[in-house]
Amino acid sequence: MNYINNKVISEKMKKILSLVTIITGLTSSLIAQDAKEIIAKSDELIKSKSSYAEFSMEIIKTDWTRSFGMKSWSLEPDYAIIYVTEPARDKGTVTLKRKKEVWNWIPAAQRVIKIPPSMMLQSWMGSDFTNDDLVKESSVVNDYSHSVVNEETFDGYECYVIESIPKEEAGVVWGKLLTWISKEYYFQMKVEFYDEDEFLVKTYVGTDIKEMDGRSFPTHWEMLPEDRPGEKTTFTYLKIQFNYRVNESFFSEQNMKRIR
Amino acid sequence: MLLTLAWKNIWRNKKRSLIILTAIALGLWAGLFSVAISIGVWEATINSTIDRNLSHIQIHTKEFKDEKLISNYIPDGNTIADDIRKDKRIKEVSGRVLIEGMASSPTSSSGVNIIGINPENEKEVTSISSYIEEGKFFETEKRNPALIGKKLADKLGLKLGSKIVLTFQNIDTTLNYAAFRITGIFKTESTNFDQSHLFVKNTDLYKTMESEPIISEIAIRLNSSDDLNFVYSKLQLDYSSLKVETWKQLAPELEFTYEMLILELEIFLGIILAALLFGITNTMLMSVMDRIREFGVLMAVGMKRVRVFFLILIETFVLSIFGGIVGMLLGGITIWYLSDKGIDLSIFAEGLNAYGMPTQMYPVLPLYFYFVLILMIIITAIIAAIYPSIKTIKLMPAKAIRTY
Amino acid sequence: MKTYLLLAWRNLWRNKRRTLIAAASVFFAVLLALLMRSMQEGSYDYMIEASVSMYTGYIQIHRDEYWEKRSIDKSMEVGDKIVKEIEAIENVTLVTPRLESFSLISFGNTTKVASIIGIEPGQENRMTKLKNKLIKGKYLTPDSKGILLSEGLAELLKVDIGDSIVLYGQGYHGVTAADRIPIEGIVKFTLPELNKSMAYLSMNYSQWLYSAPERITTLSVMINHIDNLQEVYEKVDDLFDDKYEVMTWSEMMPELVQGIEIDNAGGIIMLGILYVIIGFGIFGTVMMMTAERTKEFGILISIGLKKGKLAFISFLESIFLAFIGVAAGVLVSIPVLYYFHQNPIELTGQMADMALSYGLDPILPFRFAPNIFVDQFLTVFVIGLVSVSYPLFFIRKLKPVEAMRK
Repeated sequence: MNYINNKVISEKMKKILSLVTIITGLTSSLIAQDAKEIIAKSDELIKSKSSYAEFSMEIIKTDWTRSFGMKSWSLEPDYAIIYVTEPARDKGTVTLKRKKEVWNWIPAAQRVIKIPPSMMLQSWMGSDFTNDDLVKESSVVNDYSHSVVNEETFDGYECYVIESIPKEEAGVVWGKLLTWISKEYYFQMKVEFYDEDEFLVKTYVGTDIKEMDGRSFPTHWEMLPEDRPGEKTTFTYLKIQFNYRVNESFFSEQNMKRIR
Repeated sequence: MLLTLAWKNIWRNKKRSLIILTAIALGLWAGLFSVAISIGVWEATINSTIDRNLSHIQIHTKEFKDEKLISNYIPDGNTIADDIRKDKRIKEVSGRVLIEGMASSPTSSSGVNIIGINPENEKEVTSISSYIEEGKFFETEKRNPALIGKKLADKLGLKLGSKIVLTFQNIDTTLNYAAFRITGIFKTESTNFDQSHLFVKNTDLYKTMESEPIISEIAIRLNSSDDLNFVYSKLQLDYSSLKVETWKQLAPELEFTYEMLILELEIFLGIILAALLFGITNTMLMSVMDRIREFGVLMAVGMKRVRVFFLILIETFVLSIFGGIVGMLLGGITIWYLSDKGIDLSIFAEGLNAYGMPTQMYPVLPLYFYFVLILMIIITAIIAAIYPSIKTIKLMPAKAIRTY
Repeated sequence: MKTYLLLAWRNLWRNKRRTLIAAASVFFAVLLALLMRSMQEGSYDYMIEASVSMYTGYIQIHRDEYWEKRSIDKSMEVGDKIVKEIEAIENVTLVTPRLESFSLISFGNTTKVASIIGIEPGQENRMTKLKNKLIKGKYLTPDSKGILLSEGLAELLKVDIGDSIVLYGQGYHGVTAADRIPIEGIVKFTLPELNKSMAYLSMNYSQWLYSAPERITTLSVMINHIDNLQEVYEKVDDLFDDKYEVMTWSEMMPELVQGIEIDNAGGIIMLGILYVIIGFGIFGTVMMMTAERTKEFGILISIGLKKGKLAFISFLESIFLAFIGVAAGVLVSIPVLYYFHQNPIELTGQMADMALSYGLDPILPFRFAPNIFVDQFLTVFVIGLVSVSYPLFFIRKLKPVEAMRK
């Protein structure tokens, strides 16, 4: 009697097991398909087609610290203008990005300077970001292949951990990116940048979730270079307006001089 | 008759003659050998530079010489390259795209000269493919292969198979970013070169820039370096709107240091001969003093002073020339033998590499030196002979006979 | 002992001619060796002097890690007091401060990266003769608010005297450095890489521009002669603690060191060859002389002079001989080398042109220093003594009876 019962039970178990496997498989492939969507959604969160923002940037080095107040206008993915409001010495400095090129307006010299290719990899305004970083941001969605590799709680939020591997043709130095994106809200909480040998080179962490212009997202960001502990560059959004009215002609050399 | 006498006289004091002969022979041999080594090293350095990158003749636009922008490419470059190739004197022609840009890795970036080549042609014109330490010379299926120097790879923290991102300006001055794969790593004698040059396929560059096949530089390798001046003049005439240059003009510092080297070596040989000169004079003086009595007799018996003078002169001459010939033969043979085998100097590898110098040395002696040397020996012999000869003919025969 | 010495000495002068001939071979050997070595060492000193005056100086002082990192953040404050202390060190001829940085220079639509050096115009000129390189416009004064551009850079930017360029870069502690600066002068360097990338500002102005008041990146020290380097280096090093790095030219230009070493190695080999030849000459002369005295030796031995004693006398004779030859050689060389040291041989023609284009004087320099004389004196003396071995050997083997019959 027992024998027959066991056999029946194990048969049933097998069936249930296979059903569960199929369901799980389906689900995970669904999730895999969505990885790119998740990233895209997350990307769009703090970038709308166009936006206006006010923020502060702090550069912390072992010897010194500097703070800037800035305003920015952007028309994704190709155009942005960043205007420095503080401190007084740098007030009026403007950075213009058009597609893959960067210009600076220098009030002290009353001149526009285009950043030559050899300086693109130099730091922007002394921070841990390079001029290059300013122009590369928006290519993440399309230049990489994404997949969800994990789910984790980070900073109290349940997140998808998405692994992004650059496509063969992409002109990016990274081997892989790991992005923590809140399942519920789709904001990015952390991005880890790895080289092709899987060494962590830098980390980008977002905290201080607040609501601005109808959306919630981390308003305080820190860029932490792995090889220089104690040093970092931080961004704090003070205000953001999404779908701000601005068109391409706004992002011009002439306008760099007129902006306030 | 004097000759026979002179010859016999020399061998009367075997020991003395042999000593001075050996001194002359060895001195010259050593001198020739060191000159040959120095020149050999120099030639090797120049040749490796020509082989590695310069090639015999290069052509650019005049604007390119001022500013190495991609926009200063050679109009109809490929057609010109094809035309030049037809000349029988020319072994091969390689058209290259040259762009100054940046190479970056996750951790670092560095300024580089990006050289877009046609691997097939390039192999016949320069020897860069023979310097590959790891990987291959573009025989690969990988997308966007790149060949970089070891020094650069180290600086950027990359290795074979790593991704390297190149940033450069297009013709219309927009910026291009492109990812390449390191499929080969080369190491030349010049670490400077290794750090600042990398090679990619020109077709990959055209693809990235979305441009027509253009070339910035035409590099020409001749079948024989003897044709250099001829081909140079011809090309200058044919393409007067472009800048045609030989390797000597492209790297004038090589020529300069060569001239200085030759000067140093000539002085060195001169000093050796001066040393030998005193030795010869000394020897002859002694030889003469030994035979004062004999000369006294000769002159008393009627031999003209002039003939005595010439006797001594010939003796000195024969001695010197004989030693000289032996020395030159020794030198010539050693040089000839070693010019094949070469000498290994890898203990000094680091220092030599920094100067782009090879560690395997082959002595080379231009024929010119042999002639210079013969001339120097003759002059030395004559000068050496003067004092002893004069001393002899000033003798008073009577007194001479009475000397010990 | 005195007897032996006297005997040896008298022996020498018994046959004046023979002695003089032998001494002469030593004399000429010394002369030649000295000439050659003086020329070789002269050229090294010369190369070093030329290279360090071009830019680095013999010794440089920076904040620790500046040489590697080259960031204006690693600049230092160095007061007048310490500068005066360095200047007071014996053999120091000049101390020059600089504030170095890389920034963008722009004019019209052209922007280039350049090396911007803040200098004290007078001192800089004394060290590198920068003023002599001026081909247009005016040299800087300490109060200048203008810029000196290298010729190649000016050509690339298509600017001339009177135009104003824009300088843009990063100053101390990340402060932006930006200003519109009039071009006061254009300088020309023979090395094309330098010619396309250098720009100079007055120290006061650059310190203001880069928000680095009282700060400099390097202090360069020049001395009167390379022989004094080690001494001066130690004294300078003592003045600074380990928050600073004190470097010598050999640390800053290792390729030059290697180049000289290779050359030196070659030179010593050549000198060695010269010695061998000289050795042969001396040896041969001594051999001949000894052979001449076969009869004399034979007689001496057969009348009772012990071989050992005869050998000893021969030995003394050789020492005297070598000494006379070497001393004479050195004495004559001193004025000769001194003359060439003060009046070096001039290069002509193509060689001269090339040297000039490298910013070098077209000369063959000679070195005049005690070490040369001492080195060669000793070496040739030793060679001379080595040739003593022949007479000793000869005497040992001598069969008196046969000898007397010669």
